[in-house]
Amino acid sequence: MGDNDDYYGDGTMEPMGAAPEVIYNWVDITSDFFKHIQDLQLGELLHDGHLFGLFEAMSAIEMMDPKMDAGMLCNRGNPKPLNFQQAVAAGKLKIDDLEPAEMIGIMDATMACIVSWLEGHSLAQTVFTNLYLHQPHSINNKVLKAYCIAIYKLLDCIRDCINKAQVFEEEDFLPMGYGYRLGSNPQTGNSYDARLEVSEQKCVLMLREQEEELNKKVRESSTDEDDSVSSAWTGLACRMRFIRMFYQALLLITKKDSQSGADCVALLNGCSDMMKLSIKTAKYGTQPVENSDSPNPMGFEPMINQRLLPPTFPRYTRIKPRAEALLYFDELVTRLRHAWKITSCTNFHTALDFFMEFSRQRACILSRSALQLLYLSPSPANTASMAQSAMNGPIGQPRPQHAFVEILRESIKCFVNPPALTSKSPMLSTPQAREFVENFLARCVRPFAVLLQVFGHNRARQRDKLALLLDEFAALQEEAESVDAVVSGAAGAGPRACFGTWVLYHVLRVMIAYLLAGLELELYSLHEYHYIFWYLYEFLFGWLVSALGRAEGLAGEAGRDPRRARRHKKRARPAAREALLCNVMQNMCGGYYKALVAFKLQGKIPQPESEFDNEAVRYKHRFAPLSVLTPPQVHYHEFCEMTQPLQYENPVILYLGGCKHFQQARTLLETITTPDQEVTDLLKVVKTNFVVLKLLAGGHKRDSTVPPEFDFSVHRNFPIIKLV
Amino acid sequence: MSTTTITDEQLETMQIEDGKSKLRKWLNMNFRIEMTDGRVLIGVFLCTDRDANVILGACSEYLKGVDGETEEPRVLGLVMVPGRHIVSIQLDDTTPPQMYSYDE
Repeated sequence: MGDNDDYYGDGTMEPMGAAPEVIYNWVDITSDFFKHIQDLQLGELLHDGHLFGLFEAMSAIEMMDPKMDAGMLCNRGNPKPLNFQQAVAAGKLKIDDLEPAEMIGIMDATMACIVSWLEGHSLAQTVFTNLYLHQPHSINNKVLKAYCIAIYKLLDCIRDCINKAQVFEEEDFLPMGYGYRLGSNPQTGNSYDARLEVSEQKCVLMLREQEEELNKKVRESSTDEDDSVSSAWTGLACRMRFIRMFYQALLLITKKDSQSGADCVALLNGCSDMMKLSIKTAKYGTQPVENSDSPNPMGFEPMINQRLLPPTFPRYTRIKPRAEALLYFDELVTRLRHAWKITSCTNFHTALDFFMEFSRQRACILSRSALQLLYLSPSPANTASMAQSAMNGPIGQPRPQHAFVEILRESIKCFVNPPALTSKSPMLSTPQAREFVENFLARCVRPFAVLLQVFGHNRARQRDKLALLLDEFAALQEEAESVDAVVSGAAGAGPRACFGTWVLYHVLRVMIAYLLAGLELELYSLHEYHYIFWYLYEFLFGWLVSALGRAEGLAGEAGRDPRRARRHKKRARPAAREALLCNVMQNMCGGYYKALVAFKLQGKIPQPESEFDNEAVRYKHRFAPLSVLTPPQVHYHEFCEMTQPLQYENPVILYLGGCKHFQQARTLLETITTPDQEVTDLLKVVKTNFVVLKLLAGGHKRDSTVPPEFDFSVHRNFPIIKLV
Repeated sequence: MSTTTITDEQLETMQIEDGKSKLRKWLNMNFRIEMTDGRVLIGVFLCTDRDANVILGACSEYLKGVDGETEEPRVLGLVMVPGRHIVSIQLDDTTPPQMYSYDE
């Protein structure tokens, strides 16, 4: 190996040019080289057999390949970029007497950079291409200075929020700061100066002052004949106001305390208005030069931080176009306002539904993170890791009290109303039973907090994380069963699987979410659909419906007390809707399953050669994460046995069976009086599929072997069947 | 007539050996390759084939600046340069002599 190093190290450049000057004596050998290589045979490699072989060759980056060669796109031979002082000295960067138009341009370009950062690019290649941010304290213009300092603080706040929530992956967000001291001091490098420290309050105060100055300017210029002058000042004022309110709102979300609720809503509403105004006044700012890499004519150097980046990094990042970036911020504020609604979800189940629904809208990383922080303080991720360390601690230590334990306790009470959790229950008289229940609740904290965290991740990552979580839930199920046994035993009553039912309900939901995610992510092949839908139809949805039924029964049993009956009824309503939707989806899966078997019988679905692509192997792989204790996994041989009779069925009968399922689903859906988007979409899918299957049953395209298409454009999980 | 043919064949084999051994001599020496888009790569010549696809080790990329090669290089590591993108190849003959002795 030492030998190897000698050869490689010899005469080549040290990284980052730190080595002493190397003197080369270049001799052109182009024509000789091209002549000599003709002596090689086709496919023959000329290499040093001892040091370098095919294996090493495989890991080489191919130059001029657009996918591998990141330097290809941005190679324009630009001159060396100027830094802040150089640019100021060269008169290319104004730090005094900026026109409103210039400032609007700089601000909008900065927003575009922030959006690019939030979409997963590096800070060094986006926001910190803005030279003004390198030395905000050296800017003489007070408006721009306040703005730049605020951007610093805002970036820190955003990063804090995202880091706390821990729902990002490398494709979502790059947290590195590249030596820019985000939190402490708006300065770069090692020249830390404590005098320049800006606290949150001071930052907000500075922004407010400038806002007022700008408002004065707006009033002064309103008498001006030229309308655009006043509009530009208005544009500037609303941008300052936006940044102030956005920063304050995000601070409240990140450092959440309960009293700030009304403030945060008001701030976010204000942000919305200001952003609308910003979009309208964007045209008054300086615009980027066409075909230029720089997001604004003045103040931005796309290549300024090149030296800070690791070698394999792309040389340059495309900054989001300005108009799109402003729109992104507008939508971001809307999403944050929506996320705020989680604070009124007191029940864990409604909160969980809210998380799932929020995730479905494919929200951005910042709003996903904000949602996490808003629900649990400091965050579900933090709650989970705290619970974990408490579990690993020495036995007999008092458990730290989580707010989340109370949330879960309330959730169980609402769902199954176990006697063990009602305050005056005789069961709690035995300390052992009480201890069991409390232990169980403490154990629940981690898996359920992680469940919330998983739904904060991006859609593509959720599936694998759900599979991992199933293992933890399996352990929890065992525990739930033993608690049920102990508690029932202590009361001397018959066994009532209260806790078991509650956990089972969540396990089933996770399993269903896991399988459905495969459909959404288009992981399954057409020839796999039939067992996926079969599993959902025959088992998971069925089990979920019965779990819900059992829960209702258990809760009802305990709530026989007439005084509680009325309250109980109110609670039951969302559960009824949930059960109904489960029924609908079960029927839909049944419909797909029967249609798919019929398609297969009619030779419409191309089957892989089983030698190379074995169905049993695929089946095992698809359902492997479902191998928890209860409910038991249904194995491939069972699948074969159970579906055997259908192989001899008449396809027409199957189509009619599928039709009936879709018809049933439709009837159920139409009983919902206030349909939301989800219900409307499902209804559309159900109606269309009903008609398609009816046609198929009537012999339409019976002899065609063209595979039908499954169109997921209306609903992400439930496709519309299309005949082509 | 027949003697001439033999000489020709001999000559040919000699040339083949000559081409390959010349290339072999250059192995592990520093190459400076200019590509069709103007970038310059400097690295250790490790491997090539009939189509002039060249693999360079410990390679750095230089953008052709206005004032020569003053710009910071970007370290790329192991790269393969397709032959069709090569404009020119230069060899560094300041490489220490032990490299030459390697093949002889």
